[in-house]
This record gives sequence, structure tokens and C-alpha cells, in this order.
Amino acid sequence: MSAEDSEHQRQIKAVSEAFEQEFERFARLRAGDVTRLDAAPPAGAEALLRDLSDLRTRHTGRKSALTGLKKLIGRVSAEERAAFGQRVQHLEAEIVEKIDDAERALKESSAAARIERERIDVTLPGRRLRRGHMHPITLVWQRIEDIFVSMGYTVEDGPEIETDFYNFTALNIPAGHPARSPQDTFYTTDGCALRSQTSTVQIHAMQRRHPPLRVIAPGKVFRRDTPDATHNPMFFQVEGLLVDRGITLAHLKGTLTEFLRRMFGPDTRTRFRPSYFPFTEPSAEFDFSCFKCGGVGCRLCKGSGWIELGGSGMVHPNVLRAVDIDTEEFTGFAFGLGIDRMCALLYGLDDIRLLFENDVRFLKQFS
Amino acid sequence: MNISYNWLRELTDTALAPREVAERLTMVGLAVDTVHEAGDDFILEFDITSNRPDCLSHLGVARELSVIGRGRVRLPEAKFASEGSAEQLSAVEIREPVLCPRYAARIVRGVRVAPSPGWLADRLRAIGQRPISNVADITNYVMHEMGQPLHAFDFAKLAEQRIVVRRALKGERLKTLDGVVRELDEEMLMIADAVRPVALAGVMGGEETEATDATRDVLIESAYFNPTSVRRTARSLGLHTEASHRFERGVDFDGVLRAQARVVALICELAGGTATEDAIDVRAQVFESPPPVTLRLSRVKALTGLEVPSDEITRILDALGFILVATNGESESDTARASVNATRVNETATGDAESLAETATATGAPQSALSFTAPTWRVDIEREEDLVEEVARHFGYEKIVDELPAGNVSGGYRAGDARRRAARRALTASGFDEAISFGFIDAEHDGRFELLPDLKSAEGNNGEGDAGGASIDGAESLVSLSNPIIEGVTRMRPTLLPGLLDAVRHNFNQGTRDVRLFEVGRVFAGHAFSNEPSMDGSLPREREALALVLTGGATEEGIAGAARELDFRDLKGALEAVFDTVNLPAPEFVAARVKHLSEGQAALVSVGGRVVGTLGRFAEEVAPSYKFRQTVFVAEVDFSALLAVEELPMRYTPLARFPSVVRDISLLADRRVTFAEMRGVVNMLGLAESRGVELVDVYEGKGVPEGKRSVTLRVEYRSDERTLRDEEVNETHQRIVGALEAECGAQLRG
Ligand SMILES: [Zn+2]
Repeated sequence: MSAEDSEHQRQIKAVSEAFEQEFERFARLRAGDVTRLDAAPPAGAEALLRDLSDLRTRHTGRKSALTGLKKLIGRVSAEERAAFGQRVQHLEAEIVEKIDDAERALKESSAAARIERERIDVTLPGRRLRRGHMHPITLVWQRIEDIFVSMGYTVEDGPEIETDFYNFTALNIPAGHPARSPQDTFYTTDGCALRSQTSTVQIHAMQRRHPPLRVIAPGKVFRRDTPDATHNPMFFQVEGLLVDRGITLAHLKGTLTEFLRRMFGPDTRTRFRPSYFPFTEPSAEFDFSCFKCGGVGCRLCKGSGWIELGGSGMVHPNVLRAVDIDTEEFTGFAFGLGIDRMCALLYGLDDIRLLFENDVRFLKQFS
Repeated sequence: MNISYNWLRELTDTALAPREVAERLTMVGLAVDTVHEAGDDFILEFDITSNRPDCLSHLGVARELSVIGRGRVRLPEAKFASEGSAEQLSAVEIREPVLCPRYAARIVRGVRVAPSPGWLADRLRAIGQRPISNVADITNYVMHEMGQPLHAFDFAKLAEQRIVVRRALKGERLKTLDGVVRELDEEMLMIADAVRPVALAGVMGGEETEATDATRDVLIESAYFNPTSVRRTARSLGLHTEASHRFERGVDFDGVLRAQARVVALICELAGGTATEDAIDVRAQVFESPPPVTLRLSRVKALTGLEVPSDEITRILDALGFILVATNGESESDTARASVNATRVNETATGDAESLAETATATGAPQSALSFTAPTWRVDIEREEDLVEEVARHFGYEKIVDELPAGNVSGGYRAGDARRRAARRALTASGFDEAISFGFIDAEHDGRFELLPDLKSAEGNNGEGDAGGASIDGAESLVSLSNPIIEGVTRMRPTLLPGLLDAVRHNFNQGTRDVRLFEVGRVFAGHAFSNEPSMDGSLPREREALALVLTGGATEEGIAGAARELDFRDLKGALEAVFDTVNLPAPEFVAARVKHLSEGQAALVSVGGRVVGTLGRFAEEVAPSYKFRQTVFVAEVDFSALLAVEELPMRYTPLARFPSVVRDISLLADRRVTFAEMRGVVNMLGLAESRGVELVDVYEGKGVPEGKRSVTLRVEYRSDERTLRDEEVNETHQRIVGALEAECGAQLRG
């Protein structure tokens, strides 16, 4: 080995050692060596990466000792040049590889650090303003309206305080009838009645327009009941009326069945029971097959499979005559059902007094 | 009403089991609520509709059951020993023929009043009646058997042994069987003897003349009392009895003697004694049997859709006790002819009863119309439709099919319903829950609240500034109930606010402090102050109002605690959202004095120059019941008025072609200089390039002198022709700042 050669060897060794010494703190880091990476504090990875980048500049940059060696290659004697060149290249490759490896490891570590830093708790509640809720009566009311409007009915309303004529006389409720007593009906000091059924709207509608007529009248009604779990002195009702040629109880039943199917499901069946209302003749109460048990019998339907819902019938000829409709040419049906009762059924309410207490804890259960 | 199954079996030959009986009777209109076992018997609990007093007895129920089972009703025989005429012993005088058209008295002498035999006591107990003594129990038993209330007087205790049916005299009293001394009035019908009342006619007997162990002779009363009169007496005394329940609805005018004979027979059998051969039967009024009702056979299908063969129609009506009196208007002298005709029609029927009947009408063929008289116990039969129902319910409502009417009418919502729904959505989106409160409120609220302009008198409210002077304090303009259900709650609400404030109080009491509620509902005022004539001159005025209440924190869904406390601007924002959603012109807000709102924290809201409501901080001092520990904000607007305002047309505005520049201005100004004034100053300059002023922030407190506040405004500058140069913007901006400083006494902050 020539002196020149050993000098070169020494120089290469010095460069290599200088590198190794500085690189030592990175030497533990190897690409893919996850356990080592875990040892590095995640936040530190980026600082290390910057240090490593400096180190690369110092040891492989233009002013580095390695570059100095590479410049030396041309000046080395011809016989030594190849070997020297090879060694320098070898050294360079080794340094670059080590740095690359460490850099790759650090980048992975840094990415992992960023992920950890930005990791979110996806179970934290979504950020949104508190939403309000429509009253359950409104929800049911709107559903009923939508169904009947789609069946060709016009929604109508009338005053909540009525004359004796609209609330009773025109509905064939004669003087002296118990429904008129101040025990049952609210009266104002002027002798008007708080409407005790929205059937009053039928009369207004029939006075305004001629048959054929299809009307529903949802609204507030009043009866002098002391509040308890199933009564309120104020409640909501939908009254339906259809007057046309050739209308029968079959049309009434078909209409109620159609409505109840859309409300409670396509398998719903309805049942008529003969009953009595002053403003219809013949009259029928209608029940529908229990939507909970499908008619087999359960607690909701008290084991009968049927749920009682409302009253109905063919419009009494006296009612039609009171609004000058020819009872030979036209017949009609009418029905009434309680919105509060539908609410109680649909939402499983066991005490309807809750409907008008306006307790926020109650109201926010409906949407 | 309780009905014993065994008792029914004695009257009919029904083979149906108790639950079947209940089911079948329910399906003909006699609703059975429950069936329960009672020893070797079953008790059926009925809910009989008010039109069917004839079914308020075992006999009445048996009649319906016999139609179902195609059987017969067996009436028990009334055989007993009798002697002498009742008229030799007593007398009956009816002074009120309208209130008591018929009164029959029969006497049984030599009875031994004692406990009833076991079977009788058991039977009464089974249907929930308390046995007393044989005589009293027998009258009770027969009422439950035949539906006719009866009464037994101790004959010896009747002054002059005679009956006078008269009204009570002023100041008269009667101690009734329940031991209560009743004050009588001159409207009440009494059974009296020669000197004093001895029973409340049709309601309850008197204690003094009750049959006791010492009684030897009894006078049995069986009568028909005017239903309205009995109802009135029972109601005014608050005394609802088994007897009044039946008389109020109408008993069988012709059944009076039959029931009496049955009682007499049972007394003779079980208590001994000898009955008079007859009764003193006074018919004070001729009771005309109602005219026959004609049923056109075609009407059955026309009203029910049911195809009922004509012989089935006649079978049902016959079994119910109806008597065919004419066919096609011809008197039915020969009943056989009717049945022949019925058979013939049935034979020719091809299944389409209606077309058959129509043909029959057209050609005058027999049997298209049958006229019937109703049995005397049926007080509910007046017209053809009643007969149709009789036929339909016994033919079977369950045979009615589902059919939809042919669609030839288009449906629709009420005017304004789309906007009503939109307003509700806007409010729920703003975090308000919908409330519904009672339509009546306590009279203690009279005069506490500023009412909506349209509920107040025509004078005053012209839509400007102070609304305080125009309100009506007196109750005379309010609508009041004459018979409230809750004491003191006598006013039909002229405002929704008390209802919402009650709700706030309720929620506070439940520990909920963040409450945002709205209600849409009618408010009322006396017709004397309406601006427009109402549909009916005598009706009060009704308006639909919208009210809001808000208190507590601006909470977020699912987060405990609130970011900040809600205030006036949250309320105003919710109201603005409503106006916006229902497509109305932007509302204007003007500070004002409002009766139920704190001074300096109240405003009137108007649209198109018309005042439609109020909003602000609720003044707790208004009502002792609303002393809340936290601030509550309320608003109320006339929703009817809002819905009457035409919707703004929706028109597109071209998007800006050139960029805009925004500049913020921070000003220190007196607290009383309003934002609206500052905006007004800018707008008054009429600078084409300034495109509007918006609020960035208001601040007062640390670093801001007392009585002042810092207001930061943002002005947008833009031209439609070109991009504005910086110098142009600066120049305009300087003019605006200068104007604000000069007009508002504001200082530019650094
Ligand atoms: Zn069920």
C-alpha cells in the first residue's frame, strides 16, 4: 500500500467516522422499525427530521468532506483512481442510504405524530343549535289533513265560539237535549256556546257551497269535562263530511278504511257498530283493527283486537234540510274523530293532560 | 246498566253463551262494555245510547236478543187475588197534565213488609242493587225487568189517602229517601197527598211515606212523566237516579199498567195482601200514537249500500214490534196480503234490490213502500231513515263493504295553511317548542296585558310609537264564560301570553330553566269592539295569534350548559325568521311602552306601517303569579293580520359583476344612539357605492366609559360598472365616518 493510498484510506475513514459520529443519534432509526419509532416522542420526529436534513447537507452537500473526497478523485494517480473512486462512491452510497433510511423512518413517525395530534373523538356530540318540536297534536293534525286533502277533501274551519244555531239546532240537537245543558257545554255570558264539536263547520261549509262537497274540519272543541287522564275540557277533533249523489254507508266505511290504512298501515280493517248521534241517521261508531297486535288482542286493545275511534253516519235529513239540500237528490256521510285520542294511540300516551301542560321534557319527544 | 244473563234467559229462549250475547248485542247497537261472572250467572254491563230508553231493562234487551235469535220474548204472567175498586179507597188528581200525562195508582192491602226472599235479593245484588225490603225490592226488580220506574207509598201515611200531582209551592221542602231535605222550587213536579209533597215526581220518593215494617197497605205508583221536567228537577237537585234516568229518556206510555200489575202480582206473592181489582188510571193528556212511517225499500240500499231482501226487511221490523199498516199508501186491512207481496217481491228479486225498487216505484208495482207504526216503547222512531237503521243494524253492519266514492272533487288546504306550516317550521328551527294552552284563562289577568291592536277599540292604535294608552282595561270588552269548569278561569283568552307564562312557570317548577315556546291559537274579544262586522252579528271577535316566550340559555343539542343567556335579540330573530319564512316584507321594530313589558325593553312590531304586535322583556311586576327568578322575553303578534298580507313576489336579482370592498368602522357613541339611527345616517347620504350597513359588534363594559358603548359597523362598497379604486372607497368611507360623527355624536375608535 502506497503512502498515497494509505492517506486516501485515512481520509475516507475520517469522513466516514465524522459522519457516523453525528449520525449516531439517528442510527437507531430504520425504515419499518416501528418499535424504535415508538421510542421517539412523536412530537420530536419533526425536529429530528430537520436535524437530519441539516446533517445531510453537511455530509453530502457541496461543502461537505464527502464532496471534497469526490473532487479528489480526478487528482488521484491513475492506478489508484479506480479503487479510490470506488471507495468514495461506496462511502457516499452508504451515507445516503443511512440518511434515507432514517429520513423515511422519521417521516413515517412524523406522519403518525400528526395523525395522533389530529385524531378526533367521533363520539363527541354533533354541534347544532337546539331544535324545537311541533306539538304532537299538530303532527297528527297535519298527517290527517294531508291524507284527506289527497283524497279530495277541502280543509275548512269556523269560529270556536258559536251560536246556538250552528252548535245545536242545525245539527238536529233539539232544545232540552242533554248536550245543550250547561253541565256539558260552555256558554259565554252573551249566550254563545264554545263549539262542542267541529260539526259546526259542516253547516258553514254546506251554506257556503253546494254539493258535491268534501270537507274536513280539524279544530279545537270544548266540553265541560273535569280534567283527568282521559279527559280535558278542551280537545281537538276532525270532522269529515261528504255530500254527493248516491253516497251510502259503504262509501263512509271505505273512506274510513282508506284513511286508517294510510295512518296505521295497509292491513288495517274497520268495523261499524250501530250507534246514535243526533246529526246522523243511520249512525255508526267505527273501530279499527289494533295496529299493535294486528287484531289478535293485546293490552292496547284490551284484548278485543279492535280500537274504538269515533262516530259517524249518514248525515241526518234534518241537517241537510237546515241548509236547503235536497235529501232526495243528495245523501252524505259525516264522521268525527279525536285528534287527542289519535295522539294517545300513536304515541302511547297514558295521560292526555300532558298535552296541554307544555312541559318541555314532554314536547321534545315528538318530531 | 247491568243485565243478568240468567234473567235474560228467562225472558227469551236464547241459546247463545253470555259472551256471544254480548258480542251480538253490541253489533246491533247495544254496546256491552264488560261481561263478568257472578256465581252461576253472568253480568253484562251495557252502555245504552240516549235514544233507546226502551233498552234500559231486561225486557228491552230481551226484545233485541229475540230479533237476533229469531225467538220470542216470554213475559211473566201477573196472576193474583184482587178485590174491590181502587177508586173506593183513593183518588188521583193531576194538576199538571203536560208534566204528567198519565198516573196510575193501585193499592195492595194487608202486606207484610219483610226482607226479600233469597232469589230476589240475590238477583238484585247480581246487578249491583242493594236489597232493602220485599216491597221496595219488588218495585226495583220490576223496573229492571220492564223499564218502568215504580214507587210504593205507605198508603196510611198519605193525608186523605189521595194523590195530587202538582208543582211544588214556594218554600216547600221534602226529605227524600236518601235522608236529605230538599228545597223545592215551583218548576218541580211533585207527587203530593192532600197536604204536602210526598215524592219528587220521577226522581225519588219521600222518606216519610216510605213503606216500613209497620206498613200494612201500599199504594203502587206507575206513571209517565214529562222527560224534560224530570231532567230539570234531577239536574237542579243534583240527584240522578235509576228512575230519573229512565223518565228523562222516555218510558213506554202504554206499559204503565202492565208494569204495575207485575209489581202487584209479586207483592201479593211475596209479601201477601190483596190488591184492588183495578188501578186509578188517570190519563190527563191524550197521547196520540205517532203517525206511521213509510219506508221505501229502495232507500235501504240508497243509504246503506246493503242489499236487504224485502222479506228480511219486514221480518226485522215485525220482530222489533213494528206493525205494517199500509203498502204503497194503501191501508193494510189484510196482513196476509203483505206477506204474500213480500214473498213475491223476494222471488222476483235478482239480487239488485235497488233497481227492483226503482222499477217498482216507476211502475207503481206493489211493495215499493211500506208504512209502519212503531211500538209504543220506541220513542226514537220518526222517519224513514230511522227504519233504514233498524233494518241495517239487524241485517248486520258487518255486511257493509268498503267502497270509495268516485273522485270528482279536488281537495285543498285552508287559505294560509302553507304559511302557517312554514311559520311553525321556522320557529322549531329557531329552537322553539310548540305549546298548546287552554282557551280560557283566569280573570285575574284582566287588564294586565297589552292586547293585539285588532282586539282593542278602534280608537287609539294607529301604528305609531306608544301603544300604552290605547288598551282596554275593563272586562267589558272580554268574552266571559258563564259556567267555567275551573274556578276563576272565566275569560276566553284575549291574549296567548298568560298560557305561555303558565307553561314557563310549570317548566321552572320541574327544574327546566331553558324554555323556548310558541303557540298559535285563537284569541277573543267582545264583538262591541270589532272593526269589521263578524259573520254573525252576535258572535265575539276571534283572531289567530302567534306568541313566543323565551328564557334561559342558548343551549346546543346534546351539550350540558349554555354558551350564553338568551336575550331580546334572540326573540327578535325568531320573529324575523317567521316574517322571512312566510315571505312578508321585513318587519319594523320601534321602541315603545307596552303594558306587560319592562320599560325601555319593549318594542312594537309592524309590517307595512301597521302595528301587528309587541315584544320585549316581560315585566314580572305585572302579575304576582309570574315572579320568576330569571329574565323572560315574550312576543305576541296578530297572525291573522300577517296571513292577510300578500306574499312578496320572489324575484331574482342579478349577481354582482364587480368585487366589493368592506370597511369596518368602530365608533364610541352614547348608549341611546340606536343602530337604526346610525344605519339611517348612512342611508340618508344616498351614496351609490355604499351597499348597506351591517352590525359587526356592540360592546360596553370594561374600557368603555359609563353611558357609552362601542359599535362596530361594516359598510360594503361596490359599483355595478367597474371595480372601485382604493381612493374612491376611502373618499366615500370618510364621508360616512364624518356623517356618523356629526349626526350621532360618535367618536371613531382607534
Ligand atoms: Zn291489540
